[in-house]
Amino acid sequence: MMDRLRLLLPLAWRNLWRNPRRTIITVLVVSVGLWSILTFSVLLKAWSVSSRDTTLKLMTGEGQIHATGYLDDPTVAHRTAQPGGELESILASPAVTAYTQRLRVAAIVQSEYKTLPMTLVGTDPARERRLSVLPDRVGDGRYLDGPADTGIVLGRNLARRLKTRIGKRVVVMAQDENGKLAERAFQVVGLYAAPQQTEDQFAFTGLKTAQALTGIGTDITEIAFVTPDDRDIADVLARMKASSPGLDIQSWKTLAPLSYAVSTFFNEFILMWLWIMFALMAIGIVNTQLMAVFERIREFGLLQALGMRPRLVLMEVTLESAMLIGVGVGMGIALSVLSVQAFPNGIDLGFLGRGAELVGAGHILYPKVDAGDFVLYSLIVWTLGVVATLWPARRASRVSPVEAMGRF
Amino acid sequence: MIRKAVFVLLVAAAMTAPAAADTTAPDPDALLRAAFDNWRADSSQTDMTMTVHRPDWERSMEMKTWTQGDDDALVRFTAPAKDAGNATLKKGDETWVFNPKLNQVIKLPASMLAQSWMGSDFSYNDLSKANDLLTKYTHKLTGSTKDGPHTVYSIDATPKPGAPVVWGKRTVRVRDDGIMLGETYYDQDMKPVRVMTTEKVSTVGGRDYPVVMTMRPENQDGKWTRIETKTATFNGSMPGYLFTLSNLQNPRN
Repeated sequence: MMDRLRLLLPLAWRNLWRNPRRTIITVLVVSVGLWSILTFSVLLKAWSVSSRDTTLKLMTGEGQIHATGYLDDPTVAHRTAQPGGELESILASPAVTAYTQRLRVAAIVQSEYKTLPMTLVGTDPARERRLSVLPDRVGDGRYLDGPADTGIVLGRNLARRLKTRIGKRVVVMAQDENGKLAERAFQVVGLYAAPQQTEDQFAFTGLKTAQALTGIGTDITEIAFVTPDDRDIADVLARMKASSPGLDIQSWKTLAPLSYAVSTFFNEFILMWLWIMFALMAIGIVNTQLMAVFERIREFGLLQALGMRPRLVLMEVTLESAMLIGVGVGMGIALSVLSVQAFPNGIDLGFLGRGAELVGAGHILYPKVDAGDFVLYSLIVWTLGVVATLWPARRASRVSPVEAMGRF
Repeated sequence: MIRKAVFVLLVAAAMTAPAAADTTAPDPDALLRAAFDNWRADSSQTDMTMTVHRPDWERSMEMKTWTQGDDDALVRFTAPAKDAGNATLKKGDETWVFNPKLNQVIKLPASMLAQSWMGSDFSYNDLSKANDLLTKYTHKLTGSTKDGPHTVYSIDATPKPGAPVVWGKRTVRVRDDGIMLGETYYDQDMKPVRVMTTEKVSTVGGRDYPVVMTMRPENQDGKWTRIETKTATFNGSMPGYLFTLSNLQNPRN
């Protein structure tokens, strides 16, 4: 076997370059096809990571704890006490990187000119900072000082719609403990920048201020937490659920379904793209290889007349294809790596403006080569390509020497 | 209800406080409060016309209103046919609307209370936050002018610290006999946002009364809402069923 390979390998390699134009065309087909598959996978992965990070780091965290029923009806009626006992010790353990307690209720904000619905979030700024980027996105004014801060931080766009600004007063109305309307004047102390939907929805004040407004003592409605990257969140969730069966504990996959959908969708999209590209490549490869085989019928006849077994002819043609596609795959990988490295600082989606927010992506995508994906997709393309060329190879091995020799 | 809106918003006083006219510098707080107290002790029944004017159209609606004390008000539209039967009931802090076409009573959520009422330049809040001006502002007399036999006082109302109001201030013009002559709402930059003016004072229901009042939002040319009181009865007794949801949906009057 090795002897035969030693004979066939140089033969196959030289055969490839007997018709360079045909070879180069096939190599190009394969390399461009693979390049598109690999580059798409990198981009989509960057998109899904960006979408997840953007959502999770704004407000969501990786998991949240609520009273049962809160997610369907976010009012203070569905509130919970501060975490205690085992839940508190899990939250304080290394299994949780950071957590924050919030009072998050549907509310109405009123300025001289407009009345708009929004969500009032009472929070402890020191804790909030450890899992949310919003405190650092305050462009004008300041973020909250502490849990007793009586100021309010609005999104830029909400402030614009209210025609209000830093230093002015807005009135916030929310449902209190007894279901009555509670209202309070807040001074705008800061404006934050975020995706427009977030800017319009969330306004922040001190946790204690919000608790006083709604009259619920030290109760809260939400705990958001993040876990270390290298640990499985499912494990932490299971332990939390076991410790507090009365609470509704969810991971970001439930809380931010769009981000989760994006992250699973990209895998399927890449597979679909792979099949489409592969079908196109296969047509190109099989077509050129069939042409080659027909052109070389006299050659195969001669080889067989000289005593080469049909099996070896089949092997020889298959080897040629394997090398041909192999070169194409190698070039495809090289092209993809180069393409990715052409954007060392990420791809700025700024030109899409706020449109990028609609699909949940952050403003900058950071494409990264994933060696595992590259090897997997390349192997799939290479193997399937070789399998497709078995057809022309078989045709070559079926050539009858007498017929072939008499043909020209 | 509209009467209430008008009065309360504007801090109108239906009854005269003749002593005020003689005092060189009346206490603005007391002036407003006396005016309010006079009005609040009343119950009232009025027939009004509300005209909503917009740059390219104008329409008028006829309505009947009943008020009792500080908290209860009922407004029912009687014309044109398109609007007849629409009614708004305010009882305490709660407001309901009835739409005859839907045959439904809807309780207004807080988010709706700042919305326009029947397409006019008044909001539901104008109806339900009736005595804001008395309780949430501090009052200061800023000047007085002579208007024939009467003195007209200008009063600045500034929000008390921490009071849940959005206005920068409100200025009110009250005649010495407790007739509301105008009110301006300022934003927190002290730019006027909307202006209410009394265009005609005459006798109705046995007392001097601002019978024609117009609300104009600032910087919106050609937009205003005028309310004209045609007949009024004050201090009549109100049947107990009047301010009920049942009466809102199935009128007994």
